[in-house]
Amino acid sequence: MADENTAIAHGLRRRDPDLLDRLIEQYQHRLLRYLIHLTGRREQAEDLFQETWIRVLERGSQYDGRRDFTSWLFTIARNLAIDNSRRRQPEPAEDLDAPETSAPSAFDLTARREQAERIDRGMQHLPAEYREALALRFQEEMPLEEIARVIGAPLGTVKSRIYRGLSALEPWLKGAGP
Amino acid sequence: MSGDVHERARMLIACGEQEPWLSEHLDSCAACREFAIGTERTARALRAIPITAGWDLVSTTQMRVRQRARELQLRQERLAAIWICCAAVTLMAGLTVAALWSGLAWLGGRISLAAPVWQMSFVLFSLLPTIVTAILLLARGTHLADREEV
Repeated sequence: MADENTAIAHGLRRRDPDLLDRLIEQYQHRLLRYLIHLTGRREQAEDLFQETWIRVLERGSQYDGRRDFTSWLFTIARNLAIDNSRRRQPEPAEDLDAPETSAPSAFDLTARREQAERIDRGMQHLPAEYREALALRFQEEMPLEEIARVIGAPLGTVKSRIYRGLSALEPWLKGAGP
Repeated sequence: MSGDVHERARMLIACGEQEPWLSEHLDSCAACREFAIGTERTARALRAIPITAGWDLVSTTQMRVRQRARELQLRQERLAAIWICCAAVTLMAGLTVAALWSGLAWLGGRISLAAPVWQMSFVLFSLLPTIVTAILLLARGTHLADREEV
């Protein structure tokens, strides 16, 4: 992992376009998913997705490879999202794109998908900071210390957000969400 | 058991942390056990939310990044050219000043000029390019510029 980060750092310093192409493809789903949970809007998340990679190109020389690339990338995305939300007028949150559906092949698959849809709906009702903490913890499976670094908050705050976010999702998990 | 213990247990469960007393507590507390099961289900459900980036988004991003990389490359090349020019100008200015000073000192000596006179000439020669440039810049917007536009 450390070698990979060092190689990325070298490539970013050279502004290697092939490396950037590869990174964009590698992180496409994870970064977009994080941005959607952060902003609550897919369209805005897609704009930020592009801006994030442009920023990675411009600030690539600042990445030294000692830190995990994923958390550096997510920190850039997060800072851009915050700048963006400061510039924008508050708008009513739009629904996330409906999850893709596929023909259910078994009962448990259907049940799981329904549960995922319920949780997805629940996530949209959570404050952004809880959504973000849950996405980083459970979708990105980031260690708590990394999450703290990405969101620039103390470890205790991260733990508290995850706990509160999970507690707030409980009604949706039980199918009793509004 | 106080409510604090349950709160601590749930915080540990939510954050995926382990402490020796936790499993013992889970054996005896149905509510916290249910919270642990719920957390596991929520984590699974969160991982199952299918959010994917479209190919359009990826290719547009790659294209924009490559275009920006080219712009940055051009800017860097231009900056390098400016630095080289600045260095060359500084070097030439240094050499010219030294040569001009020696030349005027020699000429002053040959025709027996007082030192302040040839030194004033040196100042005038040194300032000449600046004065000419200033005149040209001030002339912008006057008949010089008008003639260029025509």
